[in-house]
Amino acid sequence: MINMKYILLLFFTLPIIGIGQKDTLVNTSRKNLRKNMPSYINISAGKSRSSFRDFGTSPLTYKGTPNFIAISRSRQNEQKEFEIGSFYSFGDFKVDYNEHKSTSKLQSLSIYYSQLYRVKKLSTEKLTTKVGGLFNTTGNLRNNASLQNNALGREIIATLFGSAKVSWDISRNQAKSKKILFFNYHLKPKTRHLDYRLNIGLINSALRNGYAYIGQSSVLNDPKVFEGYKYNLFSGFRLSSAVDYTVLLKNNNSLQLSYLWDAYKTGGKFDQLEMASHTIKATLMFNYK
Amino acid sequence: MNNIYRILLLGFLLTSCEKVFFEKDLSSTNARENFEYLWNECNEKYSYFELKGINWQAIKSQYSSKIYEGMSDDSLFSVLGGMLTELKDDHTNLFSNFNVSVFGVRYLGKDNYDGRVLKKNYLSDNVYRTGPFLHDFIDNGQIGYIRFNEFTGTVDSVNLNFILQRYRNTKGLVLDLRENGGGAVTDIFQILSRFVETKTLVNYSRIKTGKGHNDFSAPQPVYVEPFKGIRYNKKVAVLTDRGTYSAGSFTSLATKALPKMVLIGDTTGGGLGLPNGGQLPNGWTYRFSITQALSLDKNPEYEKGVPPDISVLFDWSNLTKDEILERAILELQ
Repeated sequence: MINMKYILLLFFTLPIIGIGQKDTLVNTSRKNLRKNMPSYINISAGKSRSSFRDFGTSPLTYKGTPNFIAISRSRQNEQKEFEIGSFYSFGDFKVDYNEHKSTSKLQSLSIYYSQLYRVKKLSTEKLTTKVGGLFNTTGNLRNNASLQNNALGREIIATLFGSAKVSWDISRNQAKSKKILFFNYHLKPKTRHLDYRLNIGLINSALRNGYAYIGQSSVLNDPKVFEGYKYNLFSGFRLSSAVDYTVLLKNNNSLQLSYLWDAYKTGGKFDQLEMASHTIKATLMFNYK
Repeated sequence: MNNIYRILLLGFLLTSCEKVFFEKDLSSTNARENFEYLWNECNEKYSYFELKGINWQAIKSQYSSKIYEGMSDDSLFSVLGGMLTELKDDHTNLFSNFNVSVFGVRYLGKDNYDGRVLKKNYLSDNVYRTGPFLHDFIDNGQIGYIRFNEFTGTVDSVNLNFILQRYRNTKGLVLDLRENGGGAVTDIFQILSRFVETKTLVNYSRIKTGKGHNDFSAPQPVYVEPFKGIRYNKKVAVLTDRGTYSAGSFTSLATKALPKMVLIGDTTGGGLGLPNGGQLPNGWTYRFSITQALSLDKNPEYEKGVPPDISVLFDWSNLTKDEILERAILELQ
């Protein structure tokens, strides 16, 4: 029943948001607006503090500080924004417990697409609220030699999120001069904003191992990557959020500093996977339109 | 409007609080918790309880009584390792940084291999080492002898091409798998593909699919396909003993379906279940079998050892002869 609620919520909220947009665009050429939407190529790099636990192989939590890189293309204006992109993180996750150490080498690739639309009633001159959706598919490849034939862990987590984003315009519109002790300094006008985005998984799904974790394709002389895997739809949960501080540079490019949080747990009948990551990243946003 | 910001504020506060959604920390050095965890993992996934007639519940009672508060890691290891040894399966081990539990199936049978006897009485000084294989001509150059003591995962078309090319004019080959404890499954099919002329069904396999001791998938066929290149189509004698285990036993099982291959020596050690791998709450790791290999009549009995077609044992009172190899040479005439 809960899953049905999510589906109904998704199907009813997204069209309403779409209709709301139509109203606000009534007197403006839609084509023109779309054409003139500022567009960016975003290149990011960062560092995460992450942890995971795969109950299929171990009750222990593995922790690591993987590297994070991302690339995306975004288009945004006051009314709406779109982003399509991919991020990749990689690094060693370790457990050191009871004088026993194990290492899992993890590579994770995510591909996502997001659409957000302004909610006029929740927006003011300085504050913009947008809602919409985000579709994210994450594939993990983990290798932990101490787990013998279960050394390789792999899964695909696909999630459709409902998203809300609030942007505060914190621009400095006038130059300021200040003095602290004997030091004078001048602050130039600057365009900048602070965003907070929350994504709640509405439709969660995962492609995970079957009952025995490892498949038998190797002894069948017919190797298969996802042999015995089960696809679980409408199970598990995923939540993510982002805090972005963005400064517009003189050349219309932007610099963004972000904190990202992502947490998910797979569902299904068999052993679940829990994963959480906290990422600090810097993004160069190259404006090309 | 305020409600929306409250939700967002709540979301922000939840950030960094994934522990709210995740299960509690399960790491533990508590002896009983680790005992229960391991017993339960085996109970739900081990594949040979029924075939071996093991009463796992009774074993739990027996070993549970040995667990006590404050026992040392060494003592706990003895109890857990002892419990796993009851499965009589060398694909079942407990690993810690101070010990590894092993059953030792090879010691159930007689020792049937002596490398020194072989070297002194059969092989020349010009023995070749190609990849993981040691090989030479024997019986006055009439037969090729190939010693393969471990499935290293490094068998490839280059080393097999060289060997089969070298012995292409022999009357037959001896593939010596005695004391071969197994290794990479891929090597099995690389080797067997050189000895078949058509796609051949060699055995079946099934995997655990549920908690019941007899919950398995439907048997899946295992085929060997001929290598598209150099093959050997004369008779091959495969030598086995109790030390022939795991991938060695898989190869021996397959020979039962291949008329040009004959198994000579002693019954193999078994090990026809593919082992998994896992970790205990105290950081130790373990493995045990989770599949069953079945013969062509879909019987799992060969887990107890693949019997030879020609049974011969090594005579330790005469160290000038390898009786098993001698019988193979006779078979290949």
